[in-house]
Amino acid sequence: MIKFLGEFFVNAALLSAVLATIGYYFHAQNEDDSDSRYFRISNWLFGIQGLFLLAASGLLVYIILTHQFNYYYVYNYTSSDLQLKYLVSAFWGGQEGSFMLWILFSILAGLGLMRWTREPYRGPVLFFLTLTQIFLLSMVSGISIGDFTLGASPFRSLAEAMPNAPFIQSNPDFVPQDGKGLNDLLKSPWMIIHPPILFVGFAMMTVPYCFAMAALWKQKYNEWVNPALPWTLGANVALLTAIFLGGYWAYVTLSFGGYWAWDPVENASFVPWLLGTAGIHTMIIQRKSSTSQKASIIFAILAYVAIVYETFLTRSGILSDSSVHSFVDLGLYGQLVVFMVAVTGVGLGLFFYRYKDLPDQKNESKLLSREFMTFAGAMMLFLIGLVIILGTSSPIIGRLFVDNPTPPEVSFYNEWTMPMAMVAAIMTVLGQYLFWKRQDAESLAEELTLPVALTCVVTLASIIIGEVRDVYYMVYLLTAWFALIGNAVIMIRLIMQQPLLIGGTLSHVGFAVLLLGILASSAYNSHLLDDTTKRYNDAIRSGEVTDEDGLRVTQPVNFLELKLNEPKRVNDKYVVTYEGYTLKNQERPGQQAYRIKFEPADGEGEQFVLNPQVYPMLSTSTAQNIQWSVDPDVYSGLLSDIYLYVSGSSYVEQRNEQAKEQAATPAAASQLDSMETQKIKIKRGGTASIGAFDLELKDYKQVADDELQDSTMVAVRAELNIIQRGSDSAVSVNPLFSVYQKDGKNWSYAPPVSIPGHKGTVQFSNIDPSSGELELTFRGVDQEVQEQWVLLVAEEKPFISVVWLGTFLLMGGFSISIFRHWDRERKKA
Amino acid sequence: MKPKLIIGIIAIVGFTSLLMYNFGNSISTYVNFEQASDMNSAHVVGSWDDSKDHGFSMETKRFTFFMKDEAGNVRRVVYPKSKPNNFEQADRLVVIGKMQDDVFYADEMLMKCPSKYNNAEDAQFEKASAANTL
Repeated sequence: MIKFLGEFFVNAALLSAVLATIGYYFHAQNEDDSDSRYFRISNWLFGIQGLFLLAASGLLVYIILTHQFNYYYVYNYTSSDLQLKYLVSAFWGGQEGSFMLWILFSILAGLGLMRWTREPYRGPVLFFLTLTQIFLLSMVSGISIGDFTLGASPFRSLAEAMPNAPFIQSNPDFVPQDGKGLNDLLKSPWMIIHPPILFVGFAMMTVPYCFAMAALWKQKYNEWVNPALPWTLGANVALLTAIFLGGYWAYVTLSFGGYWAWDPVENASFVPWLLGTAGIHTMIIQRKSSTSQKASIIFAILAYVAIVYETFLTRSGILSDSSVHSFVDLGLYGQLVVFMVAVTGVGLGLFFYRYKDLPDQKNESKLLSREFMTFAGAMMLFLIGLVIILGTSSPIIGRLFVDNPTPPEVSFYNEWTMPMAMVAAIMTVLGQYLFWKRQDAESLAEELTLPVALTCVVTLASIIIGEVRDVYYMVYLLTAWFALIGNAVIMIRLIMQQPLLIGGTLSHVGFAVLLLGILASSAYNSHLLDDTTKRYNDAIRSGEVTDEDGLRVTQPVNFLELKLNEPKRVNDKYVVTYEGYTLKNQERPGQQAYRIKFEPADGEGEQFVLNPQVYPMLSTSTAQNIQWSVDPDVYSGLLSDIYLYVSGSSYVEQRNEQAKEQAATPAAASQLDSMETQKIKIKRGGTASIGAFDLELKDYKQVADDELQDSTMVAVRAELNIIQRGSDSAVSVNPLFSVYQKDGKNWSYAPPVSIPGHKGTVQFSNIDPSSGELELTFRGVDQEVQEQWVLLVAEEKPFISVVWLGTFLLMGGFSISIFRHWDRERKKA
Repeated sequence: MKPKLIIGIIAIVGFTSLLMYNFGNSISTYVNFEQASDMNSAHVVGSWDDSKDHGFSMETKRFTFFMKDEAGNVRRVVYPKSKPNNFEQADRLVVIGKMQDDVFYADEMLMKCPSKYNNAEDAQFEKASAANTL
């Protein structure tokens, strides 16, 4: 029933969208549709589409929350132990649901456009918006015509989704007990909010595309930028926020050790942002001086094309060989290609069809004009986007060079984008100086004297303080400081005069801060190592170390090994101590949190504790083979972060050995008798240690259990706490000692109790009534004390905070601009 | 023609060809161990040969295992990090690094893991993230 309803709602939404598009077309085409009859009907259809989709989304959330594992989507992305917040976010955890979320936001954008867009644009704008929704809805339709299925329905059953699975073949109605669950790495609060914000950005970035198309359709090439600007700015803030959240998640959750890895999925959100920003620049210029109409239209088209293209790249499965986290192909390849070709073809087709009609620039702008500088800045952003698209497309474009191409090296991205960013940095200052005042070369030079002088001083200072030796870095620093100081001077002037207009300069200041942060955080990144390892690495570098095969070792060691409670001095800066681990109060079952204490080496300053975690990945672990995953911990300081994760520990090693033993000899328990036996005597409240354990006898009491035999005369149960050294989690065991009568004789009954989570057993073997001492017999407990250790990868990452600061300033600048342009538009309405 | 237009065309052609040249250089193709012997950064595809020893050494802090490439060559691979997640489950591995004599020194490792019930093409590569060894 739910399945039928869900698929019905999705397809009803699709049908409404198709009808609404037709209506919008008629409205847009008929100039004499003066009473807006078609437009109003289409708006109703659009609203109905929204309601249908909302109903379908509600059903999807319902089947997720009620754990109906006969649905593939529910089975594949959730499990019954998932917390509510992750269950709700599972709605957009898979491809199908995330398409639905995207459409929902797109519908919200449509409602806004209905309300605020004026003639002549509103018909065509809504026509194109609904058109994109038809494509998106077709991805989740699930209608089958013969062998062809349109899209992948989120409501398809297990049997439909995986006909080849063995359990489905034996029983087509099989319903699994539990789902596969959410990937542990995605169980992060950042990952709950990241996708919705990204899709808000995607949905809003559709709007400038629609406006550009409407401008081409209606041949009104100038006015559209006014209403399109706030939408584009909004899309940009959303995309930037999503990129930031993604980067932050990657930094604190993944153990790759950075906030940016040029991964195709990261690039997928970055390129539309770059092109959108390019569009914003040309739109602003067009608004001010009625130039750059062509560029504004083309950037608005390309920003959305980039979104669709990157959606294709990440969802068609084409990148599965090169990306950490792209989706697998759901059979949407063909449909995604059609979507992409349609959006690009219609967009560029109409553009070139109208090309002759588009206004030409009367006289070319001078080099030192705000028109030229802003346009050149937009071109720079566009080129950076182009380079990144090229790199991301390596599985396709790379075939020009080699068969079966690999992704480009990271250096390809860095070496191309960074110099262009440096040029853009200089342009921001020149552009801003020319933007607010007409200037010639002489007056500009005069105005720039102060910023240039300041820049030189600050750059020199940072070269000296930062011990910069590389000329490339010096130039980089010069441009970044120039951008920061130049824009800051303008910003200060603006704050005094018209504070509402500082959006642009604030964004540019943010860009400059970001550049400084990127350099500082990547150039000064260093592993935390003790002196022995450092000397070893020096020896590796000078080629003195050979391995067991007699080959020269070239790869340095980047591990920090710590023994329990043995402080180690690292990088001459910190004294680091491993203080044990805990299993208590953990979010995931079986998770250990390690306690790593950092103290400043010179004794001055704050000490802090990091708690990196290790946990078994339940979805892939078996009792015989545990798959571990890690959660890094970060100490965020003002100037530098300490980032570390656990790469191995004695506890993990011990657990793995146990698992292996269990796999080899399941009946190992029966062999305990032949194992090493140790006896200890202990008083009430006393403590003792044995092997790697500390134990405490809390109490013992006479008991009258019903599980005891009838002839029992006396039964005593001990309350024993056993703690593995280094851990704070005690296990309590209650071994029994009892005496009963049989055949007129006294017998003792004292079964050995196994120690939970460890090898060996403990038996309450005797009691001395006179002294009150108990005798405990341990079997199979290693007498040898295993050393407790932890193997860490620890890094000091300076100035990450500067990267975040730059990002926040960018967001702030764009947001101020939204208000300014939005305010103006609202007053017009 | 206007000189500006010529300069523009030269700039575009120059930029594009330099970009494509550099792009072509920065990508390579997936190879086997024998082809990798004279490469500085080779991507070798293969699978784990579990009949031979593997493990992380606490002394050298390196993870070593044997890998069989697609041409059937088996070589020892040395990886200077701990054993990645899902290593045992991976049905295909990509190691990125350099051959030295008969040993491959990997700087990075990608793993393709089959999802439990789906077809082979549903598998996905995962970058080696840190994990516990031993």
